[in-house]
Amino acid sequence: MISAYILIHISPGNTEKILAEIRKIDNIVKISVVAGEFDIVARVQVKSLERLLKATDKIQMIKGVNKTTTQVIEKEITL
Amino acid sequence: MKIRRKYLFYLLAFSSSIIAALISGIDVILEKYLKNPFVFGLSIFYFGLLIAVFFTIFFSISYKGKSIGERTIDPSFKKIRLLKKEELKYHILAGAGNAILTFGYFWLLILIRDPSLVLPFSQVVILYLVIIESITEKNTPTLVEIQSSVIVTLGAILGSISLSGTINLESLAIVFLIVNPGWVLQSVYQRKLKMMRINNKSNDAINIRMWNVAFACFFTIVFVIVYDLYTGTSNFVESLNAFVNHFGLLTLVGIGAFFSYVFYIRALGIGKASITQAVKSSIIIFAIPVSIALAYFGFIDPISTDPVLILIRFSGIILMLLGLISFALTLTKAYIFIKMRPGYPIEVTMQKLWDINGVDRVTAVAGDYDFIVKIRTRTLVKGYERILRKVESIEGIKQYKWQSVLKEWENI
Repeated sequence: MISAYILIHISPGNTEKILAEIRKIDNIVKISVVAGEFDIVARVQVKSLERLLKATDKIQMIKGVNKTTTQVIEKEITL
Repeated sequence: MKIRRKYLFYLLAFSSSIIAALISGIDVILEKYLKNPFVFGLSIFYFGLLIAVFFTIFFSISYKGKSIGERTIDPSFKKIRLLKKEELKYHILAGAGNAILTFGYFWLLILIRDPSLVLPFSQVVILYLVIIESITEKNTPTLVEIQSSVIVTLGAILGSISLSGTINLESLAIVFLIVNPGWVLQSVYQRKLKMMRINNKSNDAINIRMWNVAFACFFTIVFVIVYDLYTGTSNFVESLNAFVNHFGLLTLVGIGAFFSYVFYIRALGIGKASITQAVKSSIIIFAIPVSIALAYFGFIDPISTDPVLILIRFSGIILMLLGLISFALTLTKAYIFIKMRPGYPIEVTMQKLWDINGVDRVTAVAGDYDFIVKIRTRTLVKGYERILRKVESIEGIKQYKWQSVLKEWENI
């Protein structure tokens, strides 16, 4: 299983519509709306890099998404 | 389906309370037929175990590649399974906690026929959990959490206070030294089990509940058999008779208890045990319509209309709600995105980040950044004082960015 964070920049005024579209995407397990350099942080869990590409592609196809940066998770410590 | 994590936590904890309030009503009806508390408690455990095994098997049925339990109750659930070696210790402790709690309750019922005056003090268990967490948990409770816990506890005591029943030092000692520690033992180790990773996935609430009731049932049977041998009573045999004679009502209690606990255990996997317990104490509010219905049908005495008692209870419920709202509104979450200078080992930096109080998750990533750290704090000021200052002091960090989380959704 491959996990990754996708950091999303969006154009102003489209947040709710974009969020509604992102929430429909299957492999996204968590969506955080954040204040700062990015606008949305999405966590993706997929079986292969090809599926990660598909998930990223679906996000980029949403109207109002300006840029995405994918950070693939190598190691994690969590509660 | 994605839902906001905060909503999911409250949904699970409140659902658990509502179901628990309903089954407490059925308990009252059953007590009319099963006067002996040992027989009553044991027969409930038999059904609890049977129902838990039945539902765990049912939820294991696979449909289109996913089990029914995974689709409906807990996404971490795959199928019924045997315990892993590393879980055994925690299950024994959680099961013993459940059995001790039940034993304490039996003892109270034998000692004083009506323990309604001392039972509200079992709500103090929230404060026990706060103390335990301040010693054992990575994220020690903050001042806001301690304040809110005290408010909810006092509110819960006042909200469930009764002016009938008996109170004496021995009964209070049973509540404070047996019932409450039993509940703490159960909650703390159920949370540890829920936080465990089994086969690289979060542990599931369904198997945890099934094994908890199995261990609790085993410990209680052993205790009752020893008690019978010592006192010459036949509680164990009577409990087997009750099992046959009150099949319908006991089945309802078993089903209710199963789902109430599964939701509670899932909530324990999201929030701290003290906060989950505080939300669960809302059972006092949900029990009001159940009590009115029971009084209407003559199963209990008519509800007191003494204005002083009503005022005390109403004040207690308001206090409790204020405490719960304070829990819900004061949690702040954030991501810290970190870039490192070359030449600093990843493992060492990860551990240093993880050791900071308030850090929920440390992720080493490949891309623009080297680490993404998830933070949970009760106030932004504390976030700066307790977290950012410590992050800054870690060697090798070139740059960091704090991004506050405004809203969050997660897969159910």
